[in-house]
Amino acid sequence: MSTETGRESQRSGALVDLMRWMENLSDTQYAYLLLTPVFLLLGMVALYPLLRTFELSLYALSVDLSSTSFVGLENYVELFTGEKNRYLPGGTTFLPASLEFTSMLNSALVVTLIIAVVSVAFETIIGLGQALILDQDFYGRRWVRAAIIIPWAVPIVIQGMIFFLMFNNNVGFATPPLADLGLLAPTNTLNDTASATFIIIVSDIWKTSAFMALLILAGLQSIDRGLYDVAKVSGATKWQQFKLITFPLILPTIGVAVLFRSVQVMRIYGIIPTVSSCTVVPSLSCMVVATFNTREGVSAAIAFVTAAIIGIVVMGLIVWQGEDAI
Amino acid sequence: MATKTEDSDGGPLERWTQSAIQNPERVYRALFYAAMLFFLVTTMFPFYWLLVLAVTPEGNLLAGSFLPAVDLFGVSGTFPLPVPKGFNPGAFITVFEQVPFHLYMLNSFALAITTTIIVLFIASLAGYVFGRLRFPGRAALMLGILAISYFPPAAFVIPLFKVFAGNAPVVIPFTDIGLFTAPRLLNTPGSMVLPFSSLFMPLSVFILTTFYGQIPDGLEDAARVEGTTRLGALFRVIMPLSAPGVATAAVLTFIAVYNEYFFSSIMATSPEATKWSPILGGILSYQTQYTTQYNLMAAASIVGVLPVVILVIVAQERIVSGLTSGALKE
Repeated sequence: MSTETGRESQRSGALVDLMRWMENLSDTQYAYLLLTPVFLLLGMVALYPLLRTFELSLYALSVDLSSTSFVGLENYVELFTGEKNRYLPGGTTFLPASLEFTSMLNSALVVTLIIAVVSVAFETIIGLGQALILDQDFYGRRWVRAAIIIPWAVPIVIQGMIFFLMFNNNVGFATPPLADLGLLAPTNTLNDTASATFIIIVSDIWKTSAFMALLILAGLQSIDRGLYDVAKVSGATKWQQFKLITFPLILPTIGVAVLFRSVQVMRIYGIIPTVSSCTVVPSLSCMVVATFNTREGVSAAIAFVTAAIIGIVVMGLIVWQGEDAI
Repeated sequence: MATKTEDSDGGPLERWTQSAIQNPERVYRALFYAAMLFFLVTTMFPFYWLLVLAVTPEGNLLAGSFLPAVDLFGVSGTFPLPVPKGFNPGAFITVFEQVPFHLYMLNSFALAITTTIIVLFIASLAGYVFGRLRFPGRAALMLGILAISYFPPAAFVIPLFKVFAGNAPVVIPFTDIGLFTAPRLLNTPGSMVLPFSSLFMPLSVFILTTFYGQIPDGLEDAARVEGTTRLGALFRVIMPLSAPGVATAAVLTFIAVYNEYFFSSIMATSPEATKWSPILGGILSYQTQYTTQYNLMAAASIVGVLPVVILVIVAQERIVSGLTSGALKE
């Protein structure tokens, strides 16, 4: 009994010592102490893998597939010159082999860039429209807002399932009308690169416009309402108010949002295997997943190039926005 | 016949146009409602389509078009809205009978809740540091955390997969020095919760930094004068005052994990509910049967989407404030 209370006081004694030790730390030491868990987690699950990915991209399997050897930047050179393209699945390449439409669509880099540019362009226009609606005060606004946000919260696999069920050639009702307009291939639609890319872009726009809308809405709501009162007094029409006040003031927000979304779309993956397949629509992340069991070095090189492209865009964003970006 | 209706329509339309010219507010109002209706229809329609497929009996799925032919004043065309071919809600029960879909959902919930707890704890400490303390290296560290949230998961997946497979030692990069061999984590929560936590933590750090930064210094000072320890002040004063921020971070992390595809598809190597496969594995398992059961795929999608729909309706204020303040620090 007495030993137990003794141990108890010893334990709380250690706790008191720890507390006293923490009280005596300088602000900087205390800050770094509290950040230790972040460093541990990000070091283990982000920094270490990133460095290892770069390291693995410098190695390649030997001819007899039994061991790996250091090859320097050979994987990158082969990726960019097209020599190692035969290892990518389904006749896809990293860079386009020629400037023809079909070979452009077989290139992982080009397909990813096409998806990013087209999706983000439409998301910006639709998101701006949705943000302007949500900025108004009207009856039932809560429900309209929920309805507009819901697609953003839909799990990617269900998003993919929805568009698979809408466009496949057995039950999908949406293919025939669009095929009549010449936008989609009438048969085997989801196995046709151009059609599948179109459908993936549409599904991405459906899901993430709301995200763009919320970012733009933040910009809209930071505008000083007094400006509109002044404009009204001086007789400006609604269109003039939008053109001369709203649009210039939210343009920086839109710029940052566009870069942010572009970076996100560059890593598009899940929707592609659910709606179609990675051999039909070869996005960068798709190629990494499709090759990492068989050609680890090439796969790591693609992964690192993707990370580098995104890193450069983010750096540009930070240089452009300065301290505001963080 | 056609000209007659045009004539009788012309009257009110003309009057409306005239009043619209006199009062442009009415035009803006009409445009506003038209745009709102357009957005509502386009965002909600895919869910309606899932419902149409889910209640159509399996035998009728491949029989004819979902767009019925209609005869409009002698001109035949297709009705623009798909309608169910028959009615049989049985698919909503079959989804649970054919595969244990509820177990897949339970896995998703367990993964999301575990990740949320880890993220909230770590991000609370980081948010406090970035929001309330001034120290050298602050900007650079925040930049580093931001950069991680931007990087593609593909840049992390190959080494993580090798480590989680548990058959090769973890080596120091660019050397052959092996440190330890991790236990086999594939098909366990660990292989998913760890990458989820590091990918989704940055957003929570930014949200909490904003919230913690807004709390007046006086409150913390008062608590400290009263004799609370530094950590005590954080957990007893600062965190309770930022409860809305903590809730926002929790909701966004939960939704992000429930949404996740990349690591879920790679780290759960076998799509079985008993091996911690989340809803991803459940939904896709209706496709790998001998026949593709479109109505079950639709019904399972509706069931799987319900939790986030409810969460969005209940917590929309939190989601909006979190995304607008945290996603882009402005």
